[in-house]
Amino acid sequence: MSEAQLFDGQPVIEFDNPGDRRNFLKWAGIVGVGSTLAAAAVTNPFASAQAGGDVDILNYALTLEYLEADFYKQGVAGDLLSGRERELVVPIAEHEAAHVSTLASTIEDLGGKPVKKPKFKYPEATFNDKATFLKTASTFEELGVTAYHGQVTKIKNVDLLAAAASIAGVESRHAAILADLTGGNPFPAPVEATATMQEVLKAAKPFIAG
Amino acid sequence: MDRRSFIKGSVAVVPATMALQMLGQRFAWAQSADFSSDEDVLNYALTLEYLESEFYRQGNEASLLSGKEAEYLNAVGADEDAHVAAITDTINKIGGTPVEAPGVNFGEAFANRESFLKTSHTFENLGVQAYLGAAGFIKEPAILQAAAGIFGVEARHAAVVGNLLGLPADNGVYMGATETPLAKDEVLAAAQPFLAGAGAMAGGAAVTR
Repeated sequence: MSEAQLFDGQPVIEFDNPGDRRNFLKWAGIVGVGSTLAAAAVTNPFASAQAGGDVDILNYALTLEYLEADFYKQGVAGDLLSGRERELVVPIAEHEAAHVSTLASTIEDLGGKPVKKPKFKYPEATFNDKATFLKTASTFEELGVTAYHGQVTKIKNVDLLAAAASIAGVESRHAAILADLTGGNPFPAPVEATATMQEVLKAAKPFIAG
Repeated sequence: MDRRSFIKGSVAVVPATMALQMLGQRFAWAQSADFSSDEDVLNYALTLEYLESEFYRQGNEASLLSGKEAEYLNAVGADEDAHVAAITDTINKIGGTPVEAPGVNFGEAFANRESFLKTSHTFENLGVQAYLGAAGFIKEPAILQAAAGIFGVEARHAAVVGNLLGLPADNGVYMGATETPLAKDEVLAAAQPFLAGAGAMAGGAAVTR
């Protein structure tokens, strides 16, 4: 189905309504994901309508938070985790859900339109065992951290910067705990790394490809 | 709801929109007259980083930890050293004057493993809140980027140390769904017990309480 053709033609994210798809494609236009679609977005008058840079950034963050929230919801629903691991990961699921609603209402407060929750598809084995789930979680968290830090200097409204930073700090906590749980390095560098929208979308691809 | 109760972590029960408005307000409070320049913010951060760096130097030397814990806290200490160096460098680059390292007194912090980790946990969370409270004052984008990057790493430290202590996930490892900023005077008040000597804290003399 053409609506879902985003990453190299692989069905990845399905949007409920065409407006959200347009919004997403607008980022694709900004970051150059999928040349054909990007070109279409650029010439689409609706796609370039109003909504300043901050709303775009928040919708980008919202989509990543949707992905995380959805991912953890599935992950903690089963019996994969127990004991301390479960105690540490369940709140993460709650945080991501809270980030979704905070970002969505912030976008509305700004007069923007929050992107609706896309449908995500995960590689089949993602929730089969604890190790795969936690490893994937760790990857998402590190990706989320670099995604937020990549937008720090692009946000114009200082209150939004504070809001985004207050979320980003929590993502850093998640990332460190998941690195610890999976035998990774909780402190990969003295300063958080950054990633552009293009890099983030590209990195997210293998994990959300159906 | 007053600021205190918010800081205690009731953010989870506040509707998102309201939480964000409050967040904006709290940010606005911090924007009174705490810092007059990027150099001011950086020297404030530098003093806190000096404090942390010296804390881990002494704590790690005391050999209170072993195995993974020792490894982690050594890495944390190395991060703080890197922060001191990076911030000092930045202040020099913008033509400012880095403050001297403050005199410190960590009291009984190195009595045992638990006191070391507990004090570490306090410092790290204080650092997170201090950076978030000061971020709005920073004007130069490159400095803001660096400060945010350091802030995130302090949050990593806080979470992992909280976990080593076996603290509850909520309000122990994580401090809610969002981090909470703290204004300069509150940060200084929290840091004061660890500082030795008059005027040891950057800008401390200007704080009247």
